[in-house]
Amino acid sequence: MAQIDIDELHEEMLQCRRCGLCREAVYEAKGFNGICPVWENTSGFETDAMRGKIMVALALVEGRLEKTAENAEALFQCTLCGNCTQICPAEFEPNRVIEQVRAILDVPIKVRDSLADNIFEKDNPYDEPADKKREWTRELDFSIPTTGETIYFAGCTAALRNPRVARNTARILHIAGIDFAVMENEPCCGSVMMRTGKMDKAVENAQEAAKRFKEAGVQRIIVSCAGCFKTLKKDYEELGIEMPEVVHVVDLAKELIEQGRLQPTDMDEEMTITYHDPCHLGREMNVYDSPRDILTAIPGVTLVEMETHHDKAKCCGAGGGLRSYDSDLSKRIAASRVKEAEATGADIIATACPFCETNLSSGAELAGIQLGTLDVVDILVKALESKTKK
Amino acid sequence: MDKKIVKEIAAIVGEEYVSTRQDVLLTYSQSASTGFDGAMPDLVVKPGSTEEVAAIVKIANRYKIPVTPRSGGTSLQGEVIPKYGGIVIELLRLKEITLFEDLRSVRVGAGVTFGQLDKFLNQHGLWVPVYPESSLACTVAGNVVVNGAGPGSSKYGSIAEMVLGLTVVLPTGEIIKTGAEGNPNAPGPYLRYSFGPDITGLFIGSLGMFGIITTISVKTYKRMQFFDYNTYGFETAEQAERFIHELKQNDVNTLFISLYEGQILDFFMEMLGEEYGIPKYDWPPYTVSLIIGHVRKDVMQSDAAMAREICENLDGFVINIPEFPRGEWEDRLRTFARASYAHGWHWRILYHHHTPMHWHYVIEKIWEGLDKFGILGQTAGFATGHASFNFYPHLYFDPADKEDEEKVRAMHTWLAEQVFKVGAVPFKIAPYWFKDVPEMTDYLNLVKRMKKEMDPNNILNPHILGGEE
Ligand SMILES: Cc1cc2nc3c(=O)[nH]c(=O)nc-3n(C[C@H](O)[C@H](O)[C@H](O)COP(=O)(O)OP(=O)(O)OC[C@H]3O[C@@H](n4cnc5c(N)ncnc54)[C@H](O)[C@@H]3O)c2cc1C
Ligand code: SF4
Ligand code: SF4
Repeated sequence: MAQIDIDELHEEMLQCRRCGLCREAVYEAKGFNGICPVWENTSGFETDAMRGKIMVALALVEGRLEKTAENAEALFQCTLCGNCTQICPAEFEPNRVIEQVRAILDVPIKVRDSLADNIFEKDNPYDEPADKKREWTRELDFSIPTTGETIYFAGCTAALRNPRVARNTARILHIAGIDFAVMENEPCCGSVMMRTGKMDKAVENAQEAAKRFKEAGVQRIIVSCAGCFKTLKKDYEELGIEMPEVVHVVDLAKELIEQGRLQPTDMDEEMTITYHDPCHLGREMNVYDSPRDILTAIPGVTLVEMETHHDKAKCCGAGGGLRSYDSDLSKRIAASRVKEAEATGADIIATACPFCETNLSSGAELAGIQLGTLDVVDILVKALESKTKK
Repeated sequence: MDKKIVKEIAAIVGEEYVSTRQDVLLTYSQSASTGFDGAMPDLVVKPGSTEEVAAIVKIANRYKIPVTPRSGGTSLQGEVIPKYGGIVIELLRLKEITLFEDLRSVRVGAGVTFGQLDKFLNQHGLWVPVYPESSLACTVAGNVVVNGAGPGSSKYGSIAEMVLGLTVVLPTGEIIKTGAEGNPNAPGPYLRYSFGPDITGLFIGSLGMFGIITTISVKTYKRMQFFDYNTYGFETAEQAERFIHELKQNDVNTLFISLYEGQILDFFMEMLGEEYGIPKYDWPPYTVSLIIGHVRKDVMQSDAAMAREICENLDGFVINIPEFPRGEWEDRLRTFARASYAHGWHWRILYHHHTPMHWHYVIEKIWEGLDKFGILGQTAGFATGHASFNFYPHLYFDPADKEDEEKVRAMHTWLAEQVFKVGAVPFKIAPYWFKDVPEMTDYLNLVKRMKKEMDPNNILNPHILGGEE
């Protein structure tokens, strides 16, 4: 996210012609089956979908609405998933506009302040001790150095909330024979600060992160989190921050499979899997094929698509800071995504983001749906280790 | 608004479907009518059934509070902008769809959009063959209330022609059903003209001033699978107009016919050309874009041959660029938005009907106005039904430039008067049509008498009919 020019942002907001397509458009021929997950999982007032959010944003910026936390709620009740941008016929990106308005509005939002404080003090938004971030490596049967040219950047969510994903990513890299390290002082990418509008702090954090990479001599960063991927690769670049190469593990693993360096074999079970596109990996970074190609390269896996997929995919509900801002809503959104997955008849909903996966599993629990939620790396490891064991 | 009234309404629908929050009210003070001033209501309510709508209306009637029914909020002429201090009843929760396959009809709740209905009917090989180009956000009911039209209308007329019956909550809170469904023992909607005079028609194009529609029953047709897309070039407007007339006279199944001047087409191409894969072309002075559709291939082919023959007999020529009409049709649920929303302009629109043979009079007037007021605009339109042509000139303005917007408002008023003089009739009535039009006084007086009779406290959309209350 580049520095914000307020006049330009105001002009962007005026691009909205209030057509309302971003609310619940069902356009079968183009693959849309509803747009805004927030609108769908709330009472559904105008403030819940993008058209209303932009009206509120304009009124706040122009001073027609008092800048209170309540009046700014619509702006924070948004996963920034970008499905509205996908359908919007005007020439702008409404989700990006909301992200930027969050940044320029001086409205007291407690959650975002505490997230930012945690990141600055502990390198993670979860209020966990910084040294806990590398704990997941202990349960592996190989050791990982702390420095090296290639690093696996687990990210706060995999490291602290979903360590299975971190371990399985590491296993894949290990099996492929890639020399990699996991930093002792892995920074937080700062995604959540950017999304929730703590922009000045996010920039400071990004500079510090880049400094740490540089000091450690990092040449290549492998990530398994869609949010980290978008932030480290796209946002940092837009901020003009010099960075090493950033790769998402699904792109890398796909390549390794093609080169024969990873050979997934039969897992001794048939699995029907549906793949959930993380907004930050799909719509933001245009990565749609790699995770699907990995899954279809595994013998015994049948891939089925949900009603919405690829660039029209509905959000898991965790993005844009919503999981912290309004976790009930975030989980309700996840529950509806899991229902969509259930309707495909799949046994598993797979994704390529530990943040999505964590939320989807909360959603499954909330909806009382018996559907496995896994990361693509979890499934790939299974298929690889069955081979290594044989 | 008195807290007691808010409480009474919340008791009907549940707390979560009522809001008096400033930010929420602000978002209901406006609609897609970007060139119109907004007004804040005092309360927004989202009922979940006809009975809930009726109960709310009864309360509003008791306290004489103005009510604005709202569906998609996509209308473009300020229709759905509420009254200060009033209630907005938003109907998007009414989502039921019931198919009556044998009756060739479907009944939908007032919250069902065209996109949702189209997906549902597609599962049965059916459709309703008229699509406004706001189909993804506007509702079938809302479009009937504003008397809409769109792709498909060149054959089937406006959406009004599809309607078989309605459920309506009257301004006094009674619930009536029109058409065959007026008989509770009827198997469903199968006939519109029943029980005497056409009461259904009273609500079509009414902008919600006579009642709130909660369900709407419309005809369904077998979905067409065979299409011929083509463009036809002419040197004069008269030739192009005659082409449209002859297509109709020869019963060619003209699903959608649009007529463009070369310069306007260039403008469209700039916006949509690449997206629809249209090759670069030096468009002739007048181009007709035509989509012929049919359920049977042989009939479609025969109609396509006939269209070519008619064109050539009129000294026109077949351009053979199908990408344009194909793009218009395949993206019919939103082409208009895609074409209009490039470049960042906002606009005012002036919906009206003329006849294809009068097309050039209207175009001349529009150009005259654009020159006179010094603004940017365009003049798109399409054939609608039996012998009419639907115009929706756009008058563009820069949303950040108040002076520019004022010029557009002034031209809008001027143009309404001018096109009325050359024989246009409004569809989608809006207050400006009735200002200073003495020819319409008696007609209007009758409508006003009816309104008084039906809505003694004048609570439902009191601003319709020339802005009088
Ligand atoms: C991009 C774009 C493209 C468009 N293209 C077309 C087009 O091709 N053809 C066309 O005809 N129109 C078009 N329109 C205009 C608009 O979409 C239509 O007029 C639409 O049908 C309005 O429906 P709605 O559900 O949004 O109604 P609203 O805007 O919510 O309401 C319209 C009017 O009807 C009243 N009303 C709404 N619902 C009810 C109800 N259930 N009972 C009683 N009164 C009610 C309201 O009070 C208001 O007066 C377009 C608009 C946009 C933004
Ligand atoms: S789709 Fe785009 S232009 Fe239309 S209301 Fe939504 S944000 Fe505005
Ligand atoms: S970004 Fe996603 S959640 Fe936010 S308004 Fe758009 S569709 Fe809704």
